[in-house]
Amino acid sequence: VPGVHDAFHDFRHVIGMPCH
Amino acid sequence: MQFQFIDWKKSIIMGAIAGMLWGWIAMFANTVTGAFAFEQSLLQHLVTFTVGGIIFGIVVSGFLSLLKDFLPFKNSLVSSVFIATGLWIVLFLGGYGLALADAERYHFNIPQGIQGLILAALLGVLIGFSWKIKEKEA
Repeated sequence: VPGVHDAFHDFRHVIGMPCH
Repeated sequence: MQFQFIDWKKSIIMGAIAGMLWGWIAMFANTVTGAFAFEQSLLQHLVTFTVGGIIFGIVVSGFLSLLKDFLPFKNSLVSSVFIATGLWIVLFLGGYGLALADAERYHFNIPQGIQGLILAALLGVLIGFSWKIKEKEA
């Protein structure tokens, strides 16, 4: 799903999930 | 568990409302703590934190509907916090597995992890309170 990864990038960091 | 007693529509709606509120609180909390330096615009955050919060809220509220009677806690607030934090831990372990497999791409940050766990517990509290209100109405 192109774009989803980048779209939710900040959200994932804020909720503490491992991310790039 | 007798499934015909589940008011699933109400459960999903309450989860979505609590989750949306939680998404906004998470956005504000990170602004205060500074655990992660935002890289996107406020408009993008409003969309992604609202959508992300709604999805998390629905999932936690849905699992609470299904598992409430199986959990050892009589208080729905405690059950909700247990499910929300449990779900967060499961997802975190999945992410940790990805970090082990591809450390260059996925890595975790301890302050963000602590913030995330606290936020997960807060989501449980918000959903638990909405359930308490529903139980009083019933």
